[in-house]
Amino acid sequence: MKIKIKAFASVREACGFDEKELTVSDGITVKEVVLLLEKSHGSLSDLLESLLYAINEDYCHDDATLSSGDTLAIFPPVSGG
Amino acid sequence: MVQVVIQQEPIDITRVTADAGTDSDGAVVVFIGRARNNSNGRTVTRLEYEIYDGMAHKELRKAAEDASARWSLNSCIVVHRYGPVAIGEASIIIATSAPHRDNAFEAAQYIIDTVKEKVPIWKKEYYSDGSSWIHETE
Repeated sequence: MKIKIKAFASVREACGFDEKELTVSDGITVKEVVLLLEKSHGSLSDLLESLLYAINEDYCHDDATLSSGDTLAIFPPVSGG
Repeated sequence: MVQVVIQQEPIDITRVTADAGTDSDGAVVVFIGRARNNSNGRTVTRLEYEIYDGMAHKELRKAAEDASARWSLNSCIVVHRYGPVAIGEASIIIATSAPHRDNAFEAAQYIIDTVKEKVPIWKKEYYSDGSSWIHETE
C-alpha cells in the first residue's frame, strides 16, 4: 500500500525531504516506518527519542497502524509561540 | 467569537486589540510573544517559523475553542506568524475577553501553554555564526 510521509523542522533536514510517498506492507506501524526511514537517513537516530507523530493531522503513538492513503507526519517537539 | 489566523505578514497589534472584546466584557487580556535578540547567551539575529499548515490551524483552533468554552470567553483572537520574523516583532498575539479578568487571564495563559506544547509550529534561531532549531519550551 502507499502512504505519504511529511517531515518537519529538524526531521525534514535529517531526512532531506519534506514530503515523500512510500510503498509499505499492509498494517505497518508508525514505529516500523520510522525504522525504515532511519536505515536510509542515519541522522534521524539522534532525534528518535523525542519524535512526535500524527496520522492525517491527528496526534498518534508509535504503535498506531497505518492504512492505505494515510499521511504520516513526523516531527520534533514543537516550539511555536 | 473565535478567530484564528496563521500568517506570514507582521501582526497588526492595534487592530487585534481593537477587535477584541464585546460590550458585555469588563476585561480584555492581550498576550504578545516577541522575537528576542538573545537565547542561551547567544545573540539572535532573526527567527524563522515553520508550520504544519493544516494541523497547526486545527490544533490552534482547538486550543482557542477549548479555552472559550472553559472560561466562558465572549471573544478570542489568536494570530501566529510563520516564515521569517525580525527581532522585536510579534510572533504571536492572543486576545481573550470575558466579563471578569480572572477568566480572560487564565484562558490566555492556557492558550499560550497549549501552543508551546501541542501546536505543530517550530522556531529556528539564526545567529551571526549559524542557526539551530528550538526543541524545548521556554
